Amino acid sequence: MGLGAALVAILPLIGVVATALGDGQADIALSDLSRYALTSVALSAQVAVLTAVLGVTAAWLVVGHDFPGRRWLSWALALPLAAPAFALAYGYADLFDAAGDLRIWMRGTLGVDMPFEMRSLGGAGLILSLAFYPYVYLAMRAALLNQSSQAIEAARMLGASPARAFFQVALPMARPALAAGVALAVMETLADYGAVQFLGVQTLTTGVVRAWFVFGSVEAAARIALPLLAFAAVLMWIERMGRSGADHDSGRGRWRPLTLQPLPPVKAALATGFCLMLVGLGLVLPLGWMAHTMIDITPEWPRLIAAARHSVGLAVIAALVTVALAALLALGSTRHPLAARIASLGYATPGAVMAIGLLIPAAVLWRLVPGSVGGFGMGIALLIYAYAARLMAAAFEPIEAGLTRVTPSVVQASRMLGRSETGTAWAIQLPLARGALFTAALVVFVDVMKELPATLMLRPFNVDTLAVMADNYARDERLANAGWPTLLLVLLALPAVLWLTRKISTSRPGEP
Amino acid sequence: MTDRPTLTATGLARRYGRDAGVHVVDLTLVPGQVTALLGPSGSGKSTLLRLIAGLEAPDAGEIRLGETVLSWPGQTVPPEHRGIGLMFQEHALFPHKTVLGNVTFGLSHLPRAEARDRALDLLRSLRLEDRAKAWPSTLSGGEQQRVALARALAREPAVLLMDEPFSGLDASLRAEVRDALTPALRAAGAAVLIVTHDAEDALAMADHLVLLDQGEVLQAGTPEACYLRPVSLAAARMLGPVEALPARVDGDAVATPLGRFAKPEGEATGWQLLVRPGDVRLADQGVAATVVARRFAGNVTDVTVVMIGPDGEHRLTVSHAGPVPAIGQPAFLALAPDRALVVPA
Repeated sequence: MGLGAALVAILPLIGVVATALGDGQADIALSDLSRYALTSVALSAQVAVLTAVLGVTAAWLVVGHDFPGRRWLSWALALPLAAPAFALAYGYADLFDAAGDLRIWMRGTLGVDMPFEMRSLGGAGLILSLAFYPYVYLAMRAALLNQSSQAIEAARMLGASPARAFFQVALPMARPALAAGVALAVMETLADYGAVQFLGVQTLTTGVVRAWFVFGSVEAAARIALPLLAFAAVLMWIERMGRSGADHDSGRGRWRPLTLQPLPPVKAALATGFCLMLVGLGLVLPLGWMAHTMIDITPEWPRLIAAARHSVGLAVIAALVTVALAALLALGSTRHPLAARIASLGYATPGAVMAIGLLIPAAVLWRLVPGSVGGFGMGIALLIYAYAARLMAAAFEPIEAGLTRVTPSVVQASRMLGRSETGTAWAIQLPLARGALFTAALVVFVDVMKELPATLMLRPFNVDTLAVMADNYARDERLANAGWPTLLLVLLALPAVLWLTRKISTSRPGEP
Repeated sequence: MTDRPTLTATGLARRYGRDAGVHVVDLTLVPGQVTALLGPSGSGKSTLLRLIAGLEAPDAGEIRLGETVLSWPGQTVPPEHRGIGLMFQEHALFPHKTVLGNVTFGLSHLPRAEARDRALDLLRSLRLEDRAKAWPSTLSGGEQQRVALARALAREPAVLLMDEPFSGLDASLRAEVRDALTPALRAAGAAVLIVTHDAEDALAMADHLVLLDQGEVLQAGTPEACYLRPVSLAAARMLGPVEALPARVDGDAVATPLGRFAKPEGEATGWQLLVRPGDVRLADQGVAATVVARRFAGNVTDVTVVMIGPDGEHRLTVSHAGPVPAIGQPAFLALAPDRALVVPA
């Protein structure tokens, strides 16, 4: 069963590779492909460096120092995860538009202009970094919290200044977590469609979507997707390596939290300011600006409400299906350790690539099951399939962690008392891991709410989600209109993200 | 060995919300001497260690090293500028540095070659020279222990603090490692403070013993003095099992179920007699009792007896080497006057 769940995740990838390597017609110039790839690499490099600096600094401040607001900032710093990257792109592009009020004021009053445009590679790198730094922050925060404070205290006792203790001991020991966090941020960068498309930066993912929509060529899309898959596999490998190295020496021994370093007033104010700036730039400023521009506009309520219902409906169904599959995977993971590894490939795969992989079998099925009703059902099913295949690994992680806390002897006791393997799973393991199942469902829910490219490519005709609706408006440069679905999306995702970040920020090593 | 300063802590106090912490503790650490701080968990011994290390600042009192004030209320010289070494309970070796890298970490003020030579010398003295290039994760528990000691000693600290140094080792290795480390500690000439909850470690290693409970010093002195002349039941219990029997003042002596003993100097509202299981002997004559339980424990047998005195029944367990009467049979108990521990009740 677990193996079957893993197959769900891997089948679309096989489809992509087979199509790309097949001899179908695909008129894409090598120069185009390499231009897309270079842009993707350049963007990823920027995001990697910037998220690493921002995320590590924030984590080190919050974990090791005392300053005003530290407690609530430690979870607020993860809140930008509630906003899709395209929301930030809309907000910043509009706020810093060359013809916008801010730039006119800057030129008129200050006599200076912005040194660079938001609608550029550099601008996209900045915006995506602000959107994705929480991945690095959360990974580093967990690693620094998990580190026994003894290593840092030992460094201090051996004459190291706080800075030397950080750079020579704390940071090298957390290097695996840093690699994993940056890998996640870069994965999201490669997978992003909405933001880069809007900012006019042509990455491999925009290439895939364009090949499908503009040229209607699955083969061309698959060929562009191929290098993307290769990057994704490398990142997945880095992330895995990081994970396996993360437990060296951290879990053993008496755990005690780092003694918070009190900061003198000026430094404390700078620390608070830096964290506030991250939350402000990653969430409050761009969304606030969008809210400011959209209040003059009356939204198309029926469309907006329908889109919200579609978004929530799809996200809930996807969460249920994905958690069920991930639970199967986790229950079977002791017997099929490879299955989890395979499923994790899905997580690294951009949604656009997943969609391409599903379009090929879908085309066949559509021909077999004609008629609009069948087509509608098929479209929804494909969409759920794509979400599940992509997010199974993300749901697997908390579920597996929850299941490993059920000690083997408890499971064996149930078997000795006459329950079957399935009966034990229902009666013992899943109820004990229900908190983890809920966490996993929320993770999937939030990610599906924010998902754009796969939804765009696979959704049945006339089924718009909030993300799709925002994207449609943004394409027409009706940014004020795009504000409504974008903000509604964030508001709907925010409670789940709040719950998740609060949970993360209160958890301690060795506890759920 | 150069003259090294003495560390004195006076009136030291540190409180946490509801946790014990320490209340007003005085402590002196003399160069070349091993002081053991013995206390159960929660007694405040780790807090005291962290205060001396400079990892925390005291609420009251001060710590001096020679003439230099290291800590005063709310303030502390940062750990890297105190000249105090700390060996952590879990060793806290840096997993990303080799054994040599760990030992030279604290020698960054020296030229590289000199730091290396000093580290290798130390490793050699601790029989670790062949592990210099090894990673900490490949070392045995005893080896990690010695690397941690070498790392702490490399900076030639005036004071060396050791937090539960033997807790990670299993019983068979424990005594061996302990006896191997003691000469190295003495040779270093530092004032050594060992924090432990294990009475055997404390008695075996210490020149000077401090008994700490609930943030207060119960007794301080040589291990022999603490063992043979405890000041209270609580202090006596820290160094091994002990049973208390009532004692009634009778002139300048006290009368107890085990006989009359000299009353110590000083005033108290009441007195009691403390008895360690090995100190009472079964003899041909003495205080009459009845055997009610026996437990064979190898070289001794633990015998539980009941004595009937004027003020009721008293139950006592005695560790006796040699033949033991059967259950229900009479036994005669004798306690040597120099083993009679009479303390305030």
